[in-house]
Amino acid sequence: MSLLRAQRIHKSYTTGTPVLLDVSFALEKGQCLGLVGESGCGKSTLARCLLGIEHIDDGSLLFEGVPIHGLSERRLRPYRKHIQAVLQNPSAALNPKLTIKDSLLDPYLQFGDQVRLRHFQYANRHDFARQLLEAVELPAALADRYPHELSGGQKQRATIARAISIEPSVIILDEPTASLDVLSQAAVLGLLDRLREQLGIAYLFISHDLAAVHAMSQAIMVMQDGAIVDHFRKEELFDSERHPYTQELVAMFE
Amino acid sequence: MELALAGNTSTLRKRLRTAALLFMLAWPAAAAVYAFLVLNYDPSLVSLADRLLPPSFAHPLGTDHLGRDVLTRLLLGARQTVGYGLLALIAAVAIGVPLGIWAGFKGGLADRILMRIADAFLSFPDTIVAIVLTGLLGAGLENLLLAILVVKWVSYARLARSTVLTERGKDYVLMARINGLRPGRIMSKHLFPHLIGHVLVLASLDVGKIILLISSLSYIGLGAQPPAPEWGAMLNEARPYFQAQPSLMVYPGLMIVFVVLLMGLLGDYWRDKFDVRKEVRP
Amino acid sequence: MSLLTVNRLSIAGPRQPIVHELSFDIRAGEWFAVVGQSGSGKSVAASAIGQLLPSNLKATGEIRYDGRNLLALSPADMRRIRGRQIAYIFQDYQGAFTPFHTIGRHFDDVQRLHLSLSKDERRQQAESSLVFVGLSEEVYDRYPSQLSGGQLQRAAIAIALLPKPDLLIADEPTTALDSVSSFRVLELLSRLQKESGCAILFITHDWRHVRKYADRIAVMKDGRIVEAGDAQEVLHRPRHPYTELLIQSSPSLSRFNRLSSSEVTS
Repeated sequence: MSLLRAQRIHKSYTTGTPVLLDVSFALEKGQCLGLVGESGCGKSTLARCLLGIEHIDDGSLLFEGVPIHGLSERRLRPYRKHIQAVLQNPSAALNPKLTIKDSLLDPYLQFGDQVRLRHFQYANRHDFARQLLEAVELPAALADRYPHELSGGQKQRATIARAISIEPSVIILDEPTASLDVLSQAAVLGLLDRLREQLGIAYLFISHDLAAVHAMSQAIMVMQDGAIVDHFRKEELFDSERHPYTQELVAMFE
Repeated sequence: MELALAGNTSTLRKRLRTAALLFMLAWPAAAAVYAFLVLNYDPSLVSLADRLLPPSFAHPLGTDHLGRDVLTRLLLGARQTVGYGLLALIAAVAIGVPLGIWAGFKGGLADRILMRIADAFLSFPDTIVAIVLTGLLGAGLENLLLAILVVKWVSYARLARSTVLTERGKDYVLMARINGLRPGRIMSKHLFPHLIGHVLVLASLDVGKIILLISSLSYIGLGAQPPAPEWGAMLNEARPYFQAQPSLMVYPGLMIVFVVLLMGLLGDYWRDKFDVRKEVRP
Repeated sequence: MSLLTVNRLSIAGPRQPIVHELSFDIRAGEWFAVVGQSGSGKSVAASAIGQLLPSNLKATGEIRYDGRNLLALSPADMRRIRGRQIAYIFQDYQGAFTPFHTIGRHFDDVQRLHLSLSKDERRQQAESSLVFVGLSEEVYDRYPSQLSGGQLQRAAIAIALLPKPDLLIADEPTTALDSVSSFRVLELLSRLQKESGCAILFITHDWRHVRKYADRIAVMKDGRIVEAGDAQEVLHRPRHPYTELLIQSSPSLSRFNRLSSSEVTS
């Protein structure tokens, strides 16, 4: 059984043009599935639908075989401990008025008593925060700092620490490196790759950067105008039967 | 250069402000100690033999037209004016802020209804509403406080709502949802901290206004009733004796000015204190 | 032949120097790329060429163009060169357009300043250059807010190239765009360069935008050029460790592939 399965998802906004068109895919345990597309192609909308922030018009979303689409916020809450997210802009994703530690512990304070952590063993909250920061290669002293005192790359590491804190089964990575400079981009991608190996978390890695997606993922989907036009294993990227749009992307990134 | 200079000026301003704050706090504190140690008068004790006395050791600020000790009445008046003013304010904040956060966060019908009520209240000047309400309910400090509460909660509700409206669309609120936080927890943990600074600034400015309102309504006889030692009422009582003993009006007037200024400075101080970014220098 | 020569250019801010004795030259018709992280001083150096520095920054040294030192020119003389012979496009394409003027009006402003054409000729020229950069003629009557980032940057390029400049200074023109739009803009620039023969000074932090197009490369770090030379030479045999780090950090399909697979196995 797939961890997360989308079946024929449709979504359109009131203007009528479809944002998501017959989107289907399956994410397996511990896998990194890449999703590439230009800005405006609907990939972020898909992320929001998977996270239950927006509702889908048609189709179904299954988590371990259980439908989770169309659930109320309250009914969806138990699933949130399994599906976490890292968003594009880390400065916006951390509350400027809270210390890093306070932001970091949000999911744990909510779900700590419902999950059994395999990776982290800790004496108290502060110790836990320290371990989380170490897991994302940040100095433990940052726990009591405020977001504005951190660089962009450090902030993104902190949001990654928050996402892995309850050892979810899936993390939706929505352009996690797009707002970082080149050196931090490479470092954060490397970190995400190692964390997936260590913790066995599956990723849906959404990006406009085919090279990054190719480096991170075992399977890749290409999205154009709300539809998935191509879906293949990493090794098949350079095959001649790829969709013309995929080939166009490949040419750009060579 | 420019930056360094700006830094120095703001430090200087901060030092001056701290000095002023300390001075203004020290002054009533010293007076209170003095009152506790030296004075032991009943503020309402009428003693016609001692009326309109000039300052002396027994009566440091003299006596009023009924022979009551002015310093005693001024200090007790602080409790009436400032104490009740703060009480009304705290009640207004306690009602307005949660309502505002809730309306801003939920949106929809509840929000629209609340904001129409707020608009209705805001379309009349505070003073008018307070006068009308105390007129209807009957003169007296309690009713005046009720009127102030009715007038003031609206601005806190609006402030809280507008702050929540700008914040709730940001990614960190979305992340809080994704992290499984319940709406109540999102409001208290993530949104409330954004309000504290704004609310304290507005509140410390409002204390001044409320004190003025209590004093002015007491002055025209709608608030505290004689013989209560309230500053506005004291001003009113001293009015006929302005020629003979001008200091009777000067003292309560100065008290009002001092407290209003003090609250303004406090507002300034709080605004800086709750801005966590204050230490960032580009 | 060298078109523009920068000789010991230093730029100092109010508190500390930003650029230290920079020297390089740009040859006619070449694509010269300056690569560096944010804060390396690359954008500041590019602004100095057109006297576009903020007033609190001071430039010393020499920038020779057409027999004259650009740093010593009067603002009026500079205005005659800037826009006509040396054109700019910026990262902030939104800031480059006035939101309440149509795209056509922006064309018109430049055309009236630098070219003498009739009203109809101006419109015709603008529309054909819009088509030339892959936009439709209708864009002429649109407002900036009605276009996407990639479209606006194309329009900015079309406007910049109208007076047929010798040198186009492109200051991170693709940074604010997603990578697909970036590559399209880069392709466009490369095509226009070949057709018009104008030199491009390309400022970027992204190695990938350099790899395919640049003829020569300078790598900047902390206000200094740490390595400069022929593009293929720098790319394949970087001498400075910082250059190597930058190359390693920018994923291209083939390279990053190798990098991550080695990480997985180790």
